[in-house]
Amino acid sequence: MIPQEAEYRSWMLAALAGDAAAYRMLLQGLTRHLRGYYAKRLGAAAAEDAMQETLIAIHAKRATYDPARPFTAWVYGIARYKLVDEYRRTKRAAAVSLDDAGDLFGADEAEAASAKRDVEKLLARLPQAKRDLVRAVKLDGHSIAEAAARTGMSETSVKVTVHRALKSLGEELGDNHADR
Amino acid sequence: MQTDELIAHLTGELEPVRGAEVVRILAAGLALGILGSALLMAVTIGIRPDIIQAMGGGAFWLKFTYTLVIAILGLKLVERMGRPGTDASWPALLIAVPVVALMSMMAMQMMPADSATRHALLMGHSADVCSVLIAGLALPLFAGLFWSLRRLAPTRLTEAGAAAGLLAGSAAATIYAFHCTESTATFIAIWYTAGIALTTLMGAGLGRFLLRW
Repeated sequence: MIPQEAEYRSWMLAALAGDAAAYRMLLQGLTRHLRGYYAKRLGAAAAEDAMQETLIAIHAKRATYDPARPFTAWVYGIARYKLVDEYRRTKRAAAVSLDDAGDLFGADEAEAASAKRDVEKLLARLPQAKRDLVRAVKLDGHSIAEAAARTGMSETSVKVTVHRALKSLGEELGDNHADR
Repeated sequence: MQTDELIAHLTGELEPVRGAEVVRILAAGLALGILGSALLMAVTIGIRPDIIQAMGGGAFWLKFTYTLVIAILGLKLVERMGRPGTDASWPALLIAVPVVALMSMMAMQMMPADSATRHALLMGHSADVCSVLIAGLALPLFAGLFWSLRRLAPTRLTEAGAAAGLLAGSAAATIYAFHCTESTATFIAIWYTAGIALTTLMGAGLGRFLLRW
C-alpha cells in the first residue's frame, strides 16, 4: 500500500462530490510527485509540460476513478499513460514496464532533496551579500520591498543585484554544459 | 501557463461527478451499437423466417446463451479497461468457462460420430460465411464501443481495443443468432468462436490508433 493512499483518496472522494478545497490540496500534492516522476524520465524541461498535461487528464477523466479501488493506482495509470504517450511522440523506446505506483509516489522527496542540494551548491558560488538577497527574494518568497527594507538598499538596487546574480549563475551553468 | 494558475483554473471549474458516469457512457455506446447492428442485420441478411418456432427449441438458446455470457464478461472487461489502474484479469480468465463448456459439448458430439457426420457437424451449411457475417455485424458495435472507450481513460490501448472487439463480436453474434439456422454445438463452438476471435483481433490491432486520448 502506498503511504499517501488514504489521504489522497479522501481528497479525491471529496473532490468528486464537488469540494474545491480538497481538490486543490489533491492537485498540489500530485504536482510534486508528478514533477519528480517526469523529471527523472523526461528531463526537467519536458517534465513541466508532461506534469501539466497529466493534471489536465486527471481533471478530464476524474469520473473514471472507481472509489472501490486504490486512488494511487488510478493516478499512476494516467501518469504512466502520459509518459508512454510522450515517448511515442518523441519516438523514444519505451522502457517503463517495470515501474509501479511506488515509483510515482516515492519519487518526489528524493528529487526535491537533490534539487535543493543543487541550488545550495550554486548559491555557494555567490558572495555572501548577494547570496542572502537571492535567497530572500527567490527562495523564501520575500518581496523586493521587504528585502530592501531589511538590507537598507533601494528597491531598484535589490532588483538589479538579484538579476545580475542569477545571470552570472546562469552563465556558469552554461559554461558547465559547454564543457561536457 | 504556471502550474499554480492551472490548478486554480481546474479547481475553479470543478463540478460534482455523478457516480454512474462510466456506466452511462458505456451504456450509450453499447445501446447505439446494438441498435445499429440489429438494424444492419434486419435490412441485409434478415431475421430467419421461422424465428418463433426456433425460439421454442434448445439450439437457439444454446447459441444465444453462449454469446451472451461472453458479451457480459466482455462488458465487464471494457468497463475495467476504461478505468486506469484497474486489474482486468478475472473477467478475462472467466471467458474460458463458456468456451471450454461448449468445446466439451462439441467433443461429445464429435467423438461418437463417423467421419461424414463429423464433416457435416463441423461445416453445417454456412461455415463459409458465419464468422465473416458476425464480424461485419459487429462494425456498428465497434464504433459505439470505441466512442465510449475514448470518453473513458483506457491506458493499455491494445488490450482495451481487444476487450471492445470481444464485446462487439459477442454482442453481434448474439444478434446473428436471430438469423442463423445452424443448430449444433460443434458448429457454434467453431464458427461463432472464430467470429468473436476475429473481432477481438481487429480491436487489438486498432486500439493503438483509435483509442488515444
